[in-house]
Amino acid sequence: MGVVLGNIIAIYRRELQSYFVSPLAYAIAGVFWLLSGLFFVLILMGPEGILQTVTALDLQGQQFGVPVPPIDVPYELVRAFLDRMGWLLLFVLPILSMGLYAEERKRGTLELLATSPLTNWAVAVGKLLGVLTFFITMVVPIMGIETIALSASSPPMPPAIPLLGHLGLILLAAAILSLGMFISSLTDSTILSAVFTFALMLLLLFVDLIAKNIGGSMGDALGHLSLLKHYNTLVQGIFDTSSLILFASYILLGIFLTAQSIDALRFQRS
Amino acid sequence: MKLLAKKKPLKILFWFGPFLLAAGLTSGFVSQNWGPIQLTLIILGTLIIVLWLIWQNKQNNWLGQRSTQASTNALIATLAVLAILGLINFLGTRYDTRVDLTETKLFTLAPQSRELVRNLQVPAKILLFDVNQDPVDRDLLENYRRQSSKFSFEYIDPQARPGLARKFGVKDYGEVYLEFGDKRQLVQVVGPQQRLSEVKLTNSLQQISSISSAKVYLLQGHGEHELSGKGEGVISQAVKALNDKGYTTSALNLVEKSSIPQDANVVVVAGPKRSLFENEVKALQDYLNRGGNVMLMIDPDTDPKLESLLAQWGVKLDNRLAVDVSASVGLGPAAPLVTQYGKHPITKDFGNGISFYPLARPIDTNPVPGIQATPLLLTKAYPNSWAESDQQSENLKFNPESDRKGPLTLGVALTRKLSAKSEATSNSTPTPTPTATPQTQASPTQRATPTTAATPASPTQRATPTTAATPASPTQRAKPIAAATPQTSASPTQRAKPTTPATPASPTPTTTPTATATPASPTPSSTSGESRMVVLGNSDFIINGLFDKQLNGDVFLNSVTWLSQQDQQPLSISPKEVINRRINLTGVQALLLELSSLVILPLIGLVVAAIFWWIRR
Repeated sequence: MGVVLGNIIAIYRRELQSYFVSPLAYAIAGVFWLLSGLFFVLILMGPEGILQTVTALDLQGQQFGVPVPPIDVPYELVRAFLDRMGWLLLFVLPILSMGLYAEERKRGTLELLATSPLTNWAVAVGKLLGVLTFFITMVVPIMGIETIALSASSPPMPPAIPLLGHLGLILLAAAILSLGMFISSLTDSTILSAVFTFALMLLLLFVDLIAKNIGGSMGDALGHLSLLKHYNTLVQGIFDTSSLILFASYILLGIFLTAQSIDALRFQRS
Repeated sequence: MKLLAKKKPLKILFWFGPFLLAAGLTSGFVSQNWGPIQLTLIILGTLIIVLWLIWQNKQNNWLGQRSTQASTNALIATLAVLAILGLINFLGTRYDTRVDLTETKLFTLAPQSRELVRNLQVPAKILLFDVNQDPVDRDLLENYRRQSSKFSFEYIDPQARPGLARKFGVKDYGEVYLEFGDKRQLVQVVGPQQRLSEVKLTNSLQQISSISSAKVYLLQGHGEHELSGKGEGVISQAVKALNDKGYTTSALNLVEKSSIPQDANVVVVAGPKRSLFENEVKALQDYLNRGGNVMLMIDPDTDPKLESLLAQWGVKLDNRLAVDVSASVGLGPAAPLVTQYGKHPITKDFGNGISFYPLARPIDTNPVPGIQATPLLLTKAYPNSWAESDQQSENLKFNPESDRKGPLTLGVALTRKLSAKSEATSNSTPTPTPTATPQTQASPTQRATPTTAATPASPTQRATPTTAATPASPTQRAKPIAAATPQTSASPTQRAKPTTPATPASPTPTTTPTATATPASPTPSSTSGESRMVVLGNSDFIINGLFDKQLNGDVFLNSVTWLSQQDQQPLSISPKEVINRRINLTGVQALLLELSSLVILPLIGLVVAAIFWWIRR
């Protein structure tokens, strides 16, 4: 067990090192920060932003003496922002996951990995942890910016809901990255891998819409597969064990399939 | 060459396998029906695939190869993992724990709603006639569904299923109906402005599940509105609405029955044109004295001879006509629009909604000890409405001598505690109260009907001494069989028992006046019982064609619901409200936000990327 853990950590370190010296990774991070920062500022302070709308409502209420219905501005801000972030992930995550195995295949290092004494799933777990860590380092500065805004709320907002929302974001990312890793292990073209991951993500996000049209227990089962639905549950502030189980299932499935596909590679080559 | 030619058609034949299999599965899933056709397709497809595999194996001993074994292993392992994950998720949804972290528990049902749904005995179904499925509404309904398997909901496109829409009487998109057993009820109309509300849903559910087919009798025989048919002034829509709400309705002819049936929860007297006989009035009085509930709708220009009964309750019918000359919507001055309602359970949800009453008479109330009267319907204030005494003249003008200024009361609701009732009140009926006299002269409809009580009693009635006081009408003599079953009022406990389920105690004290009106058995002896009465100065507002206009139907239905004494106090569910919070950014904070998110962070990323790129080069 200790050996496996050591292996995972070794792979994890190797992955992290490759990310933190890679200009591509930093470029992705830069673009991600720019886009999410733009979203955040627009949602909060833009001409159609929450602050403007609420101020206008409050003014109206004062002028006409109509009581304004209560609005939880920070809560709305977190929800709206995390909703946009969910969409942004759709574009960013396939780029992060595309190189995980496809790059190794292209460079020919995959044979080394496949024939090394490391178990395939340990490699997969290490790689997933690496890319997830990188993603979290991308999210943390954004959370810092959010904290500045949320600290100005009056009365102050308890941190449970934003934290749960961001946990949802990270779980969503982990699920997508895990499946993207599997797709990446199937091909030696990073572009193809990114495109297929993107397509799969769209499918999993929109399966909810298909399910609604089907209805019945079949529709319910399909609807349960929807990533977006469970992400929204967490973002709303509902801690639902079935959502956590679903995310965990996707992550496990991705790791398992990756290990299987590398396993198959071993036999094809031998 | 020969081999190839032989092989090719067989290879094509193989593709029939997956094709047939897929066709069978698809048609099965789509039609939700696994008939012989689907099964044949599936079996045939599987058979072809298996045969092909065997044949392939014979060709090149493919099964024995190591790669085949490995990939079969992989396939089985993958399927196993998928099955396990599926099972875990299935169990996960079955036994999930939800913790609502929002401070006001925005996404959690109130305990009252949960309790109610969990205790459902009969399947309840919500039908939403809408094409747009709002996620918030769906979440709310899912929350309900999670509580009990007896609760379900369905979105229905009224265009796609017109038959169902007609059955429910759907008029517009967004109507939400509750179906409970064979009862159905409109809950609310949802739209972008108004989302589905838990308060309304739970209260409808409670109401519909507690109305236990209460019996409503509609008095007939004095020119009241007919209950069925297609003619003028028929109230079949109102009767149907009552039936849909779960009431049992039947016509009541006191000439044949001579006393109000024991199982009557409500007796409705809808617009009598001729006078009631004295024994009928007496029957109503007896009924009220033993805890009955009566709805009287009396049009102007009629005299049903109910003064003695009304006087007991402190109600006096004004014989003038209520007029409303405010710019109404083409109804004319004789049909007053009511937009003001009294504070009463019947009218609590009306707000400033409109109901209208073509040809109505005002109603006065005098305080009578032991009786609580609440005005229900109020017309507008004086310059817009008054009571007109001169109904012949063409132009309506307020005449200070004979007319009365608005606002006028067109309807009152009254309750009388039965504990206050003594023998004195029930026996005091024959004494004509002075208030009754001045009104009798005016009505021209008061025609040849024999109002004298001097008619001799029928022989059958004489045989039963318990009902001795009720004199029979002349028609009764014509067919004595009808009177052969004189129902004595000896068994008061026989009255409809309160089958309503115990409501969960609401934690907040409610201020509704119905709080005391628990559906305790209204036996005359019980001290908690009460009898209720609603008096309206108009009956035409519920005739077909007007019943479904504006709030007219609701005035009637709510009155009957209140009268039936089955109206439980509405569950006090406070609507979910978020905490009012604002973000007050100072100028420095705003600047810091903009700078850091739009400039500093992206720059860091891009600059570092450039540096590493430079180093690598």
